[in-house]
Amino acid sequence: MSDPTTNDVILLELDDATWSAQLDRAAAWLNNTIMTQEKFRKFAADVASEIREPHVKAYLEDVAKRAEDHEKLARDLIQAIGREPTPGRSAAGAVLAKGAELVADVVGLAGGARGDWKDLRQLLLAGQDALGAFAIVEQLGYALGMPELAEPAFRAQGEKMRDQLLIQEFMLEMGPMAILLREEI
Amino acid sequence: MAVTATRASRETLRKLPTTVRPIVDPADIETPEGYEVAPVMVGLSFPCGMGFADDGSLFILEGGSTWPTRPYMPARVLRFDTGSGDVEQIDVEVLGGPRGVAYRDGAIYVTVKGGYHAHVDRYDLKTKERTIVVDGLPSGGWHEPSDPVFGPDGLMYFANGSVSQNGVCLPQGFTVDLAKHPEAHDVPGRDVALTGNNVWSRDPRKPFPFLIETGPFKPFGERAEKGEVIRGELKCSGGLWRCHPDGSGLELLAWGLRNPYGLAFSEEGELFASDNDYEEKGERAIAEDPDRIWRIRNAKNPHGSVTAPDWYGFPDLRGDGEPVWNEASQPRKGNPAEPLIADPPPWAGPAAFLEEPHTCLCHMEFCRSDAFGHRGSLFLAQFGTYAPLNTPDPAALNRGFRVKRVDLATGHSEPFLRNKRPGPASHHPGSGGLERPLDCKFHHDGRSLYVLDFGVTVVAPTHVVAYARTGVLWRVTRL
Repeated sequence: MSDPTTNDVILLELDDATWSAQLDRAAAWLNNTIMTQEKFRKFAADVASEIREPHVKAYLEDVAKRAEDHEKLARDLIQAIGREPTPGRSAAGAVLAKGAELVADVVGLAGGARGDWKDLRQLLLAGQDALGAFAIVEQLGYALGMPELAEPAFRAQGEKMRDQLLIQEFMLEMGPMAILLREEI
Repeated sequence: MAVTATRASRETLRKLPTTVRPIVDPADIETPEGYEVAPVMVGLSFPCGMGFADDGSLFILEGGSTWPTRPYMPARVLRFDTGSGDVEQIDVEVLGGPRGVAYRDGAIYVTVKGGYHAHVDRYDLKTKERTIVVDGLPSGGWHEPSDPVFGPDGLMYFANGSVSQNGVCLPQGFTVDLAKHPEAHDVPGRDVALTGNNVWSRDPRKPFPFLIETGPFKPFGERAEKGEVIRGELKCSGGLWRCHPDGSGLELLAWGLRNPYGLAFSEEGELFASDNDYEEKGERAIAEDPDRIWRIRNAKNPHGSVTAPDWYGFPDLRGDGEPVWNEASQPRKGNPAEPLIADPPPWAGPAAFLEEPHTCLCHMEFCRSDAFGHRGSLFLAQFGTYAPLNTPDPAALNRGFRVKRVDLATGHSEPFLRNKRPGPASHHPGSGGLERPLDCKFHHDGRSLYVLDFGVTVVAPTHVVAYARTGVLWRVTRL
């Protein structure tokens, strides 16, 4: 209790050891966010390169560019809490992107879809994963009383949600053409 | 989960790891002459209420999922020994969170929000057994269950706020609980016929923002028809009840209360409830509704004798009795309201006390001690405004953020504890004063008032967020 003679106060889970452990766990999630975001960024760039329709191509290139910024943000956020990104996450992200493309091939072919539309659909799923990772970073910021985590993650989420809506819209618009007419975008 | 509580010097409070509240410093707080304030405990996460036991133990509730609902931090019921400084965890509520607590005969009674129904739990402090004594209170939306309080008759009194924010479940509810409870809706305390007025809004549940219509006492997305009768229920929303401590003999005393978060009995045995104003935003926006304290008249009637609960105005009257669709209620942000109830009951007002809109009245307690001073006054925690989100009125920006002393007999009120600079400490970088006081309770020694401070909440015109681990327990002592 607060003792007027010593001016002691009770701290709940704010001591150095507890706090440091909490930051280590937050950093682990941020490393996961880097990997998830890199997977999305590479996949977006690959899909944009395959699309022929010029408007969709341009929009997806913008999405890939923003994804680069978000990937850098995730690295900066780890450093903002006094930790460093784990090496090797970049390679893992690239592998995951390739894996996602393979999944798209299997799922799309099974559903009768042809061409790059199936990659667009898979990109939507990868985007949801990356969006979710940043959304959790935002919540970690609130949980730790650290707006330097929460606020940038909140802004990134807004941008990623806008990108998700764009990808979703094109996926829905082009779906019947890809499945029924087996046309490429 | 064990509580990790450590002792620290005041110096530590000048560089806390929570960067949104790095400093806690009583020097930034103004107290009346003859009183001093000191921090007791720092690092609470979304604390919602507290209550003393006869032995001086203080039970503190960390609210879990609060305002907004994310993130959820463990909703702990803590016991703090104000003598030794020891802190232990009594229990953790895994869904939602506890909101108010009262001690009685070796047990604590805790009101809990979470799921479609709020409930009242009894914790036996000896056996650690937990029992739900009242369940089924309509919830899952916007407002809270109150403090439980024991009256001079030995009965337990408690309240539960509305599900909708302003009378109809609308998209803004999805920023709170409706995303988890899409079927939640208000329930009246007696039969009401509806006007048939519904509210159009966008539908956040759909993949695209299509339009949808919603009526009162309905889940989001269901419309009401003119003349439709909604049956009243004993367990309604916006209600206030009493019962025996085991939950038997449940009696509805009042309904039409929007957010009756604080209850208190005066030494004369009168029951009062704090209640918060409508918000000036959204598709049914209402302006200039005063915050208020109601005298609950039916609490004076014998148990079992109340056949018709009093109606306090929600969803169609403001705290001052004005209809929410009249000229004075027209909003500057959002769409104006229309009447919802075609056959409203008589209004149980006027209020015992009116406060400025958007002050956010929370828990409160009458002083019963000559040693502290101001015996008979009501000490009222004011959480502070959600302007500019809940109203665009710039005059509301610094309302609340204090403990106020109210003389209900004369209507006189004055700040008792507030920051030296207006608003919360976080509005003034480098300040370590109050953020959001939401409870104040007197220690049984009669010499000190404990004030529970929720912590940092940041409000923008578009949204609100709150930060964990920034809650503080303060103590005000008469010198």
